[in-house]
Amino acid sequence: MSTTTYRDLGANPYRPWPARITSIIDLTEKEKLFELRLIDETVREAFVHDAGQFVEVSVFGVGEAPISISSAPSKQGFIELCVRKAGDVTSALHSKQCGDIVGLRGPFGRGFPFEEMKGHDILLVAGGLGIAPLKSLINHIHDERHDFGRVTILLGARNPGEILFRQQFDMWKHRDDFDLIMTVDTPDASWDGEVGLVTKLFDRIEIDPAATYGAICGPPVMYRYVIDEMRKKNMDADRIYVSFERRMKCGIGKCGHCGVGHQYACIDGPVFNYWEAMNLQGAI
Amino acid sequence: MFFRIMDKLRLPDLIDGLAESYEVIGPVAKGEKFVFAPIAGAEELRLDYDTTLLPPKTFFTPPTEPLMGFSMADSDVRSESLESPPRALFGVHPCDINALGLMDNVFLGEYEDPYYKARRESTLVIGINCKPRPECFCDAWGTDEVHSGFDLFLSDLGDRYFVSVQSVKGAELLDRFVETRPITAEDTEDFQRVTREFKASFSEKVDTSQLPLLIDAKYNDAVWEELGEKCLACGACSMVCPTCYCFDVRDRLSIDGATGERERVWDSCMFSNFAEVAHGQNFRGTRASRVKYRYYHKQWGYLSKYGRVLCVGCGRCENACKADINPRVVIKALQGGGVAQ
Repeated sequence: MSTTTYRDLGANPYRPWPARITSIIDLTEKEKLFELRLIDETVREAFVHDAGQFVEVSVFGVGEAPISISSAPSKQGFIELCVRKAGDVTSALHSKQCGDIVGLRGPFGRGFPFEEMKGHDILLVAGGLGIAPLKSLINHIHDERHDFGRVTILLGARNPGEILFRQQFDMWKHRDDFDLIMTVDTPDASWDGEVGLVTKLFDRIEIDPAATYGAICGPPVMYRYVIDEMRKKNMDADRIYVSFERRMKCGIGKCGHCGVGHQYACIDGPVFNYWEAMNLQGAI
Repeated sequence: MFFRIMDKLRLPDLIDGLAESYEVIGPVAKGEKFVFAPIAGAEELRLDYDTTLLPPKTFFTPPTEPLMGFSMADSDVRSESLESPPRALFGVHPCDINALGLMDNVFLGEYEDPYYKARRESTLVIGINCKPRPECFCDAWGTDEVHSGFDLFLSDLGDRYFVSVQSVKGAELLDRFVETRPITAEDTEDFQRVTREFKASFSEKVDTSQLPLLIDAKYNDAVWEELGEKCLACGACSMVCPTCYCFDVRDRLSIDGATGERERVWDSCMFSNFAEVAHGQNFRGTRASRVKYRYYHKQWGYLSKYGRVLCVGCGRCENACKADINPRVVIKALQGGGVAQ
């Protein structure tokens, strides 16, 4: 195995490497799933990420945006990004076609403590686009499933049409190695699942707090309520992990935009455990 | 470090010697104020300057700075702007040299910034001592003295300079261009006297004891709302601050759209959209939350990482702020004095 990492290669951490878009899948009206391959072979091989880390994606002429990596670290050679059309860069990305080239820097930030989580039960809670970074963790756990105990996944979305990776999760609902429950705020005629906020699902699950790690990602308003539920189940504050969305212009702790409390989300996070997060002023 | 004595009359020799290899930048008059600007000779220097409008950071991380050129055809980087011509920054006060040290922690630490590094390495820093103005409180942070981050430092002893030599480049300059002599016991005594007089001449002692605790414990104090009411969110405090380093990054296309440039520009956490994310969520939407964050970061955030506060007491923000918000006011307010109207 090569000892070079992507970081060693880049003398200039601001310089994006060209990456080709090799697949685009429409997920919902607002989200597309992009598969990217770094064009330079050395760079591609050196690119190793942790679940929960992010990349800076460049569309030259428009700018850069931080995007969570959705693919699992166990899958090398390509990077999967779930992108919501929300700002200038993401809109420009949505107008790209398969074969087009974009710039890529990273991976940046601190991801989930995968090695530390091994040997434990896992409770993952995602709301809306929050599934994007958690999918990397879910897929990584899937690829090394025998290292984990019970894995429970709670997914919330506003309506059935906004559930990301619905096909995969619909299939998973019937598997016995993952306990998966989906819920929507507003059902439609096709929906026969749970209705209500993701916190409601805590009545449906049993967890062993001493053996469980939690991971949460979703809209900012969600964290406090989900953490309350986990704390009610007696989970320790430092075993609950949250991933924060912040504006990250540089990704490397310089530009200052992602300041949260006394930390920068880009290098000290974006994944924090709740013990750290509860001591970050203005975080939750 | 070693020390030499240089007669004041020899100053032009030093400047001329510097000019052989470096673009020389020094304090010059601009109306009634002062700025750092290129000089042609020692006679242009105003070494009696109080402070400059903008700090020396402009020469290491300029207000607008190209990072790279790119081609739209292949979406690849064509060039990076890593070249930096040799420069000598002459007449820098201790607070500003210390401020560069704080910038170094950020730009030369984890994920080294190659643009800043290139400028830092190609720039000679020659310091000079000063007299405190009423708004100076560098003594509160211990930044009235400087022990690193310069090549030469000149302390004015009246008719001569007590020269601290810290780098090989600085030593070579003196060797080649300037007549100096070893220090004597009298020189050292005079140096101590000048230092004592300097330290005694601050108009007000700012009490910074317990400040990190206060700024954390009073995170929800009403004082921030009062300050937010006053703040104009103009960002002037950040622009003139020698330790504010935040920036924005933007792409600019050529007129034919074939090529472009990525550049970074100074930014301020006082601006309303600074902490906004793509779909409109703003983590610091109120002025009160932004004023609080600026002080929280400077007095606690940076401190928690590097063991120093991100302020050197230069007083520029006090001069720049139209709403009378500055560290001295904020510190007093946190200590229970409220915000003076």
